[in-house]
Amino acid sequence: MAALLSVEGLTKRFSGLAALDQVSFEIREGEIVGLIGPNGAGKTTLFSIIAGSQPPTSGKILFEGRDFTRVKPFRAVHAGIARTHQIPQPFLSMTVRENVEVGLRFGRDPGGARNLVKEVTEILELVGIASLENMAAVTLSVGDLKRLELARTLATRPRLLLCDEVCAGLTECEMQSILGLLRRIQALGTTIIYVEHNLRAILSTCHHVIVLNFGKKLAEGPPETMQNDPAVIEAYIGKKA
Amino acid sequence: MSAAERSPGLAARPLAVLPPLILLGLLAALPLLNLGANSVKVLFLTFVSIAASVGWNILGGFAGQVSFGFAVFYGLGAYTTAVGINEGLNPYLTYPLAGAVAALASLLVGLPTFRLRGPYFAIATIGVSEATRVVMTNLEFTGGASGYRITEHVPFRQLEHYFTGLMLAALAVGLSIIVRRSRFGLGLRAIRDDQDAAADSGVNPYALKLGAHAIAAALTAAAGGVYARYAAFIDPEGVFGFPRGVGILLMPVIGGVNTIWGPVIGGGVYGVIEEELVARFPQLHLLLYGVLVMLIILFEPGGVVGLLQRTRRFVLRRREASWQPS
Ligand SMILES: Nc1ncnc2c1ncn2[C@@H]1O[C@H](COP(=O)(O)OP(=O)(O)OP(=O)(O)O)[C@@H](O)[C@H]1O
Ligand SMILES: [Mg+2]
Repeated sequence: MAALLSVEGLTKRFSGLAALDQVSFEIREGEIVGLIGPNGAGKTTLFSIIAGSQPPTSGKILFEGRDFTRVKPFRAVHAGIARTHQIPQPFLSMTVRENVEVGLRFGRDPGGARNLVKEVTEILELVGIASLENMAAVTLSVGDLKRLELARTLATRPRLLLCDEVCAGLTECEMQSILGLLRRIQALGTTIIYVEHNLRAILSTCHHVIVLNFGKKLAEGPPETMQNDPAVIEAYIGKKA
Repeated sequence: MSAAERSPGLAARPLAVLPPLILLGLLAALPLLNLGANSVKVLFLTFVSIAASVGWNILGGFAGQVSFGFAVFYGLGAYTTAVGINEGLNPYLTYPLAGAVAALASLLVGLPTFRLRGPYFAIATIGVSEATRVVMTNLEFTGGASGYRITEHVPFRQLEHYFTGLMLAALAVGLSIIVRRSRFGLGLRAIRDDQDAAADSGVNPYALKLGAHAIAAALTAAAGGVYARYAAFIDPEGVFGFPRGVGILLMPVIGGVNTIWGPVIGGGVYGVIEEELVARFPQLHLLLYGVLVMLIILFEPGGVVGLLQRTRRFVLRRREASWQPS
């Protein structure tokens, strides 16, 4: 089966520092792929480039075989690529409901005749913040903001969901519920790339793992193999004496 | 709760259309009272101001793109109507024409300047505005700096102007309500809140800003046109001058930016200040506005509407408190 997303030799330089260095990989439709690596490895930068928020220095991105290398963010969304931000970026003047409405009405399927109210409710129920629908986004807690971020992104009806540390700062219990949510979203047919520092979360959720370190792809494979890969262990824990 | 206070849309409250319609009816009936010519003039100028103010707010308020350059559109509208009437066009055809000319001009202004953000956009609009004024000052075809006179071969009827102004202001408010409630308006709000997040939700910020700019410019130009026909004489200093652009921006700021009624209230306040105070104390003009804007920024960024909302909350809370059994 052809890849949904292929990244070929992607490089991003910030005045000398290579945040990404010749990174290549492919994502097949329907998977949950874990993207791991220490702080500063280039995970968020990779997402920004795939979503079109930043141009790469060189390299190529293909989405369903079409060139998406320097695509405008909103065009990426219309094609079905959507990202959550590591730090949630809600529309602060809006209610929770309105935040989600933006994605629905401007996303991949902005069609006219539809039941918006119902669709918003469904998404809010899915991420578990339906009871907050009329709250102003400014008043939400960190955990709820993370859920809203996911809801906003899901509202664009993505085919490829880029999830950046949606569980950081959440309790174990909240994390389990978000992981369950990701599995449900995947079961509904969305491909997911999932950035996460918590290895247990990755192991329990992902079919495939890509490891970044200092902007380079260190390894990729099934989660069980990655867990025991010496290079990965070294990158995470440092060289054993 | 502040979220509940945000307007849930007219559909949720069908009675909400009543007060504006009653206000419109009252204003339409007002001339029956045989107001003096000067009162009619003040009201007419206020309607014109409101139309421009409401127009500006669609870009500056709804989309959060503060422009100091709306004199460009006001002036273009004024000159389009003036030349149109002198060329024999029906005055009422010149207003949509003025709107179309300004909408086109807004694209020319917007295409490069909307690549800039925040203060850079605002500064660029100052440059565009001044450049346009200089060009118009040197344009021989319209008499350059010495101005341009409209000659109509029909008697001057002040009430006709009054109703034209009133209709334009009503049209502006109606359009602003429609925009606010539409998908387009939701996109503008998203851009105002966070342009990058908006784009990440599929909003095309550039296109939506250009659209808002065009609507705002068209309304402002129609206001300029309606004004020009009344004044029968216009000059670049007056309609293209930088103070004109600042005035158009001040009205919604005074009344409450990014609301439906703020720009209307601000236009009213401004119309009265301009006519009553400035006429009497011309030298206080700028000082007055300077102080006003500082007070607004310091104490009530929501303008008059913000102040009213705050007062209402205060009163409600007091009432609630006094209901508590002691
Ligand atoms: N806009 C920028 N300008 C300069 N350097 C940047 C910029 N964005 C990221 N970097 C640098 O690029 C490198 C990769 O950053 P990135 O945020 O992609 O890492 P990350 O893997 O997401 O890290 P974390 O796990 O901490 O979120 C870091 O060294 C960072 O300092
Ligand atoms: Mg990151």
